[in-house]
Amino acid sequence: MTNNKSDLIIAIFLLCFSGIMINDASNIRDLGFEGMKADAWPRVVLWMLVVMSSVMLGKSYFQFKTENHKDNSTFKINFSKFKNALLCFGMFIFFLSTLDYLGMLLGGIVFVFGLLTLLGGFSMKLGIKHLSISVLSIGFMWMVFTFGLRVMLPEGEILRVW
Amino acid sequence: MFDIILQAGASVLLDPLTLGLMAIGTLAGLLAGAIPGFTIAMGVILTLPFTFGMSPIQGLATMMGVFVGGLSGGLMSGMLTGIPGTPSSVATTFDGFPMVRAGKPGLALGLGLWSSFFGGMISAVILVALAPQLAFLGLEFGPWDYFSLIIFALTITVSLSGDNMVKGLIAGLLGLFAACVGEDEINGVARFAFGSDYIRQGFAFLPVLIGLFAFSQLLSDVEDSRKAKAPLMAKTADPVRVEHRKAIALVIRNWINLFRSSFIGIFTGILPAAGGSISNILAYDQAKKAAKNRDEFGKGAVDGIIAPESANNATAGGALIMMMALGIPGDIVTAVMLGALMIHNIIPGPSFIQDEPMLAYGVFIAFFAAHFFMVGLQAFSLRLFLLVTRIPMYVLASVILAYCAIGVFALHNITFDIWVMFGFGVIGYFMRKLGFPLAPMILGVVLGKLAELNIARAIGTSDDYFLFLTRPWSLFFLLMAIVSILFPFYQNASKDSLFSKIYVPISMMVLSFPLFLMGSPVRMIIAAILLLTGSFLIYKRTVSLKTI
Repeated sequence: MTNNKSDLIIAIFLLCFSGIMINDASNIRDLGFEGMKADAWPRVVLWMLVVMSSVMLGKSYFQFKTENHKDNSTFKINFSKFKNALLCFGMFIFFLSTLDYLGMLLGGIVFVFGLLTLLGGFSMKLGIKHLSISVLSIGFMWMVFTFGLRVMLPEGEILRVW
Repeated sequence: MFDIILQAGASVLLDPLTLGLMAIGTLAGLLAGAIPGFTIAMGVILTLPFTFGMSPIQGLATMMGVFVGGLSGGLMSGMLTGIPGTPSSVATTFDGFPMVRAGKPGLALGLGLWSSFFGGMISAVILVALAPQLAFLGLEFGPWDYFSLIIFALTITVSLSGDNMVKGLIAGLLGLFAACVGEDEINGVARFAFGSDYIRQGFAFLPVLIGLFAFSQLLSDVEDSRKAKAPLMAKTADPVRVEHRKAIALVIRNWINLFRSSFIGIFTGILPAAGGSISNILAYDQAKKAAKNRDEFGKGAVDGIIAPESANNATAGGALIMMMALGIPGDIVTAVMLGALMIHNIIPGPSFIQDEPMLAYGVFIAFFAAHFFMVGLQAFSLRLFLLVTRIPMYVLASVILAYCAIGVFALHNITFDIWVMFGFGVIGYFMRKLGFPLAPMILGVVLGKLAELNIARAIGTSDDYFLFLTRPWSLFFLLMAIVSILFPFYQNASKDSLFSKIYVPISMMVLSFPLFLMGSPVRMIIAAILLLTGSFLIYKRTVSLKTI
C-alpha cells in the first residue's frame, strides 16, 4: 500500500467520521443557558477536521493521480506485516472478554502465556519458560496492586466459585 | 518564601518513603531510558498507576525520578553499543561511542553522567528562579489569552513533530475531539455518548495516554518477529568503572560549553513540545560550531559529549517551568505529569505556585534531588541494564501489556477503562504506521478541556470576539502560532528564497507589536530590540540582494 493510496483512504475515512459526528452533534441537548452552547466547541473542532481531511484528500488524490501513470499496482494490504500486532489485538480482546470469568489473576496469566507462546513459538522448554514468566510476573503485579496499593482487581467467577 | 522552600525540602528530603520511591523511580527511569524501543514518556506513563495510592508529592517525586533517570539512562546504551536508548541521547552517541571504542569507556560514561548532572542543576536553579516569575506573569492572562496560548502550544507541537503538517493538525484535532466526548464541563450535557453510560463519563486521561503511547509502542516493538525474538541488544558490553574525578574536572574546565548547552536545553524545554530530542542535537551543533578543534568532533571529543548530555537534562527543567507556571506541558512527559496532578485534583496554572507552594516547591526539590540519585545509581543501573538487554522484546512487551491493563483498571476500578486503552492503542498503532505524529494528539487530549473552558469563559464574559486580537497577550500568542505554523516552510525553503530571507526578521517585527501594546517599560524595551533587530536584518538582506 503506497503512502498516497493509504492517505487517500484515511482522508475518506476521516471525512465519513467527521460527518457522522457532526450529525450526532445535532443530538446534543441545548439547555437554553446564556453563553457557549455544549455543541459549539465540538462542531468547531469537527469542521476543522473536515477542512484538514479535505486538504489531505486533495493532496493525496493529486499525488496518487500523477503516480498512477507509472504505477498500476492493485490495492493490497500486507497482513503478514501486521501479524504480530493482530495477534496482540486478538489476545487482548480474548483477555477482556473473559475477564469477568477468569479474573485479573488467571486472565492475566492466560493472556501473558498465550501471547508469549504466539509471539515466541512453542516447544516444551519454551512452554515451561513462558509459563513461569507469566505466573511470576502476573502474580507479582497482582500482589503489588492487591496488597500494596489496595486495588480490588476483578476476582473472576471461576475463583469465586472455587 | 525561604521558609516554604525549607518546609517543602523537608517534606521530600526528610521523608524516607519519598526518598525510597524517588530512588526506585530514578532506577526505573535509568533502565527505561537505556533500553532502545522504550522511551522516557513510556517509563513515566507506566509509573503513573503506582502513584494513585501515594500522596501528590510522593507520586510526583517518583515520576520526577523516572524523568531525570530516563534522560540520563539513554547515554548508557548510546555510548556502550552505539544505539541511543532514547531520542534525547542521539547526539551523545556521535562522540560517546567513538570515545568508548578508543578504550576510554569509563571517561565517556563519566562525562555523560556529570554533564547530565550539572546541566540538570543549572536548569533546577533557573526553574526555581523563573517559574514563580512566569506564574506571576500568567496572572495577567484572561481566558482569551489562555485560549490563544493553548492554540500556540498545539501549533508549535504540530510544526515540530513531523514532516507532514496536515497529518499533525489532524492528530491535534482528533485529540481535541477525544477530549469533547462525554459530559461537557460547563453545562453537564452528554456529548457523543451514543447511549452508553460509560462513554457519558468521558474518556479518562490515563487509559487514552497509555493506549496511544505505551500500548501502540509495544505493538510496534514486536511487529518484526525475528527482532522480537532476539535479545534486546545484539551487541553487549562489559561493566565499566566510571572515571568520576577526571570527568568532573573536564566538565568544569569546559564550563562555557556546559552553560551554553544547558541554556539551549532550558529554552528548548520552555517551548511547548520541543523536548530533549531536539535540544541535544541543537546543543551538539552549537558546540561544534564554537569549538576550535572541530575536526575532533565525531571522533570522541569531550565537548561533543558535554553538550548533548547537559542540554537534554536541562530541557527537563525548561519543560517543568512551563508546566508549573502556566499549566502548559513542555513535552509529552510533562503532559503526563499534568495528568497525574489532575488525577490528584490539582490543576497547575498561574496561581498554582501561590495556592500550593509546598507541592510546587516540593516538585522543584524533587527535580533537584533526583539528579543526585541519578549519579548514585548509575553504576548499579549499568549492571541491571546489561542483564535486561538479554531479554527478548516479545517477553517484555507481553508482560508490560498485561501490566498496562492492571494499571489502567486501578484508576477507577472499571473494565471500560481497559477497553478505552485498547481502543486508543489500536488507533495509536495505526496512526504510527500511517505517519501521524502522536504528540499533537496527546497534547490535544490534555489541553482540549482547558481550551473549551477558556473559550466558553471568554464568550461568557464578552460578546466581543475581537478581544482575541486586541488583547496584547492573546494577539502575541496567536502571532506566535502563525510564526510556528510557518516554521516548517522556513526549514524547507531554499536559503536563497525570499521567504527564507524575510521569515526571521518579519517574525521579530510582527511579534514586537503586541509587546508594544502591553505598555510596561521592560516589554517595550524588548519590543524595541525585536523591531530594531528585525529592521536591521531586513536592511542587511536588501543590501546583499542589491549587491548581487
